[in-house]
Order: sequence, then C-alpha cells, then structure tokens
Amino acid sequence: MPPAGIWIDGLVQSSTYITMAFGMVLVFSILGILNWTHGQYYMLGAVIVYYGVTAAGVPFPISMLVTGLIIAGLGMLVKKVIIDRVSGDLYVGAVTLALIFFFEGLASMLFGMQDKGLANVMPGSMDFGSFSVSYQKIAVVGFTLVVMIAMYIVLNRTKVGLSIRAAAQEPRAASLYGVRVDRVSLIVMGIGCALAAWAGCIMGPVYSINPFIGRIPMIFSLLAIVIGGLGSLSGAIIGGLILGFLNSVMAYYISYYSEVVLFALVIILLLVRPQGLFGAALK
Amino acid sequence: MNVWLNRFRTFDWRNTWPKVVAAVPVIIFLLIPVFTQGEIVLNMLILSGIWAVAAMGFTLILRTGQFSLGQAAFMAIGGYTSAIISVVLGWPWWFAFLLSGIVSGIVAMLIGSVVLRVGGIYFSIITLSLTEVIRIIAQQWEPVTHGSRGLITTPPPNIDLGPLHINFMANSVPFYYLTLILVAVTGLVFWQIGKTRMGGTFYAMLANQTLAEHEGIHLMKYRVIAFTLAGVFAGFAGAIYANYLTVISPLIFGLWQSIQIMMMSIVGGMSSLVAGPIIGSTLLYVLGIQLARLPIYGIAQLLYGAVVVLVLIFLPKGTGLIDLWPRIWRKIYREVEEYEIPGETRQED
Repeated sequence: MPPAGIWIDGLVQSSTYITMAFGMVLVFSILGILNWTHGQYYMLGAVIVYYGVTAAGVPFPISMLVTGLIIAGLGMLVKKVIIDRVSGDLYVGAVTLALIFFFEGLASMLFGMQDKGLANVMPGSMDFGSFSVSYQKIAVVGFTLVVMIAMYIVLNRTKVGLSIRAAAQEPRAASLYGVRVDRVSLIVMGIGCALAAWAGCIMGPVYSINPFIGRIPMIFSLLAIVIGGLGSLSGAIIGGLILGFLNSVMAYYISYYSEVVLFALVIILLLVRPQGLFGAALK
Repeated sequence: MNVWLNRFRTFDWRNTWPKVVAAVPVIIFLLIPVFTQGEIVLNMLILSGIWAVAAMGFTLILRTGQFSLGQAAFMAIGGYTSAIISVVLGWPWWFAFLLSGIVSGIVAMLIGSVVLRVGGIYFSIITLSLTEVIRIIAQQWEPVTHGSRGLITTPPPNIDLGPLHINFMANSVPFYYLTLILVAVTGLVFWQIGKTRMGGTFYAMLANQTLAEHEGIHLMKYRVIAFTLAGVFAGFAGAIYANYLTVISPLIFGLWQSIQIMMMSIVGGMSSLVAGPIIGSTLLYVLGIQLARLPIYGIAQLLYGAVVVLVLIFLPKGTGLIDLWPRIWRKIYREVEEYEIPGETRQED
C-alpha cells in the first residue's frame, strides 16, 4: 500500500487532467476537432498569472479570473482568425499542432527559459496527523470540484448550456431551431481555453513555471478523454481519475515504466473499444 | 534542315522547360561537395535530407487520409536497431544499416495492421502514444540503450574502391552522398508509386473514404502498405541520423520531432510525394538553423508555427509551396488557370 502522499498526488494530478479534459471534450464535441494546443493555453495561463501576481501585484484569485478571460479571448481569436479559415479536418489538426510551436516560441521569447515559481501564493499546509497536505493542493482539488459543479449547472440549467448540448448532438437541426451554431462554437472555444488557463493558474504554485509545462498535461488529458470516451464529460471525470491515480500509484512501484503501461493501456483500449469506456459511438 | 527546324518548332517546350529548370537543383545538389566542403553547409544539407525522407513517408500516409504522429518513433527504431546491432552485437555496419530499415518496416507492418483498423483521430492518438512509448523504453532500458546518456555508434568502415578511398570519419562528404542516395531512392520509389495505380488509389482514399471503399478499394490493405513503406524509409533515415550524430539518445526522437516532420510535409505541400517534402524540410530546417543563431531564444519556434499557419491559411487543403511551381509556369505561358487534381499525370497525346 503506497503512503498517503502518493494518493494525494494522484488526486491532484487527476484534478488537473479533469479540468483540462473538460475543455478538450467540449471543443471536440462541438467543433469536431481535437485542440492539440490545449496544453499551451494551460502554459500561457500559468505565465500570465505569474506576471499578474509578481509584476502587477494583483491578488492571486483576481489575477486568475482575469487570466481566464484573457485566454478565453485568445482562444476565440484563434478560432475566428485561424481555425475557421482552414478547411478539412486533417489540416485543422495540423494547424493546432503548429500553434503549439508558435505559443511555446512566444512564451520563451517573452518569459525566458528558466523555471520560475509562485510558491509564496498560498503557503502553509494542513496537518492530518500522520501526513500533511499543502493548502495549494487542497485548492487544486477544491477548484476542480467547483469547475465540475459549475459545468453541470451551466450545461443543464441554462439556455447557453441547452444550445451547446443541442449543437453537439445535431448541429444542423439545432441551427434550424434557432441556435446560432457558429456563435455557440465560439463560446465553447472560449470556455475550453479558459478552463485550460485556470488549470494552469491553479497548478502554477504547485510546480514550477516554464514555457514547456503544457506538453505533459495536454498528452495526459488527451489520454483521459480517450479512456472516458471522446465527447463525454462524465467520461472525462472517470478517465481523469483513473489516469491520475494509476499514474501516481504505479510510478510508486515501477517508476517510469508506469507511463509505458498507461500508453499501452490506452492503445489496447482504443483497439478494443474505440468509443472509450463511457462514450457513445461517434458517427 | 527544314525538317529539323520543324521538329524544333513542334517540340513540346511547354512541358520540357519546367522539367529542365527542376533538374538544375538536382545537379547542384550532386555537385555541392565539389564547390564547398564546409561542415556547416554539408551538415545543414545532410540533416534536411534526413528529415525530408521522414517527411516523404508522412506525406504518403497523409495521402491515405491518416494523420500519423509516429514517424519519429520509426526513426528511433531504425536508429536504435542499427546502433544496437553494430555496437552491442558487433555485427558489420552495412548489415546493421540494412537491418534498421527492415526491422522498422516489420514493426510498422505489425503495428499498422492492428492499429489502422481504427482510423481518423484515434490513429493520431495511437501513433502519438507509440512515439512516447518508444521514447520511454529507450530512456529506461539502461543495459541496452544506455538510457538518456545515449549510445555511441560505431562509424561506418572505410571503403577502398581502387583509387577511391572513402573514409566516413575524415569529413562529412561520404555521409552527404549516403544521405543523397537515400533521398534519391526514397524519392524514386515514392515517385513511381505516385504514378502507378496505387498512387491513384491513395488519392481516391484521401478524396472520399466511403466512396473509395464502395469502389472496391481495400482501404486497410493500402493503409498498411503506405504505413509500412513510410516506416521502412524512416528507419533508414533514423539510422543515418544516429550514425551521423555519432550518438543516439531518446531526446532526439520524440513527439516534437514527429510534429516537426508533419510541419515540413505540410509546408512543402502534399500534391507532390517527392518534391514537396524535400522543399518543406530543407526550407524549415535551414530557417530553423539560421534563426537559432540569433540571440533571441524561441524565435525559431515562433516562426516555424507562424509559417505553417500562414501556409495552411493561404494555400489551403495541403497544397503547400510546391503548388506554386505549376502556377508560376502558367503565369509564364499566360495560360488560364484551371483546376487540376494535383499529382494526376497529364495524358500524353
């Protein structure tokens, strides 16, 4: 049985993957593309919140909120200016892959290559007797819970959520019933990018910040939504939990080979059940 | 005399001039070591040639409508096969080099025949996972691959051909010609594929998979063929890469190299299986090297991304830079531009 710290780490990792995976699932179900740049929005979120807190001196929660809005605007801009002008699913994939390099280059030019930390934002830790958990990690888990509840409310209780669900299910029929699908897809792109940016903000103080931190969370949240099923939000939660715990607990026993096992697991899962554990079969 | 002049007039200059002009760079590439043996120039050309071979494979897979992020994995398999066989087992270098392509091709065929059943986005994710798995195995399998310190390769043996002594250690010229031969062989094979019935089949699959399947095309078969061919040549490219750098480590074959190969192929254009990837990889690699000399870190990546985005916006549907070539000639001959399916050979009359 691994020590409690391993399980806590698993929970923290799962939380990041879930927040990131939500955005990817939303974008995939509306736009029909995988947004490979998602990890870079995570990275940009962390970078902007770093500057907000250290250079501008804005309190962490406010700068986090503003960062989310900025990245949402950036995502919408990318959608409007670049993705809409590229035709063909294959080439949209290519353009989002190319944007990874663009954003990483931009961040390395402006931010520099060295690691920077935000550790002084939420110091201290909570004592649980035999082990202690830093407030920062509690904040990550708490934030993810808030995101989950908020997403549930937005998608199921509001008019925007209704149109998002309608557009995901049947875009043509939804547009016949008065849903403006292009506007909905813009909103979804904004929400997805904001979620990625917030994941980056909340994880910024836990790990160090550099222009390349977006790569690993992108790959892992991709695997999470593949396990859960592309296009299913509850699947993304389950997939994120499986992935986070499996990764940290297996890494305790077999170190780096745990990643091989995870990737092999995903390959086998895709071959046996391409729609994922919980996803409905895609068209 | 008159007959000769007539033949001269009726000669089809319109189709000949573009080919003559296109032959000029080929001759220049062949003669470059005569003019300069500078390591910087040769280094640049060798590495762009290596990436060009991998990018050609990517283009071939893209022709079947699949988006592979696994080209770097096959380069890694080829590189490690050649290094392990020649260093750890101590077998002859050329035999190891030959095996690198074969092993990588066999792996590609085995994986492809399982993985290509799920197409589209899932194929991209699986090839991405494959690249990462290969990289992690190379990093962790210490006794054989020496982990992230890397495996130092043995240089190719000297060749004595009468008056000609080829020494791979003396300078980069032998490696330059080796790369050029690989690019030429890959180019010839892919060019011939593009001209045959199989090339047409690939195009049909790109245009409309469902229709192609209903026309009686066995999608799976052609996908596996494309994937295997790409794997074979990526393996050879990886072997040359590892031996040229004299050390092979997991850091040089990752997902980011796969994405780089994709960018080279997209920028060059996929309407041509050979010229497009060569132009794209040479252009992007040389651009990257030149920008890396600037003191501003990250500008190379920024411009890489920007170039691909601009190409995809202004030259849509993967036409790429190579598509500008026929356009220029149409401008010269003042022809009206007409839509032509790229790659389709014009009927000779």
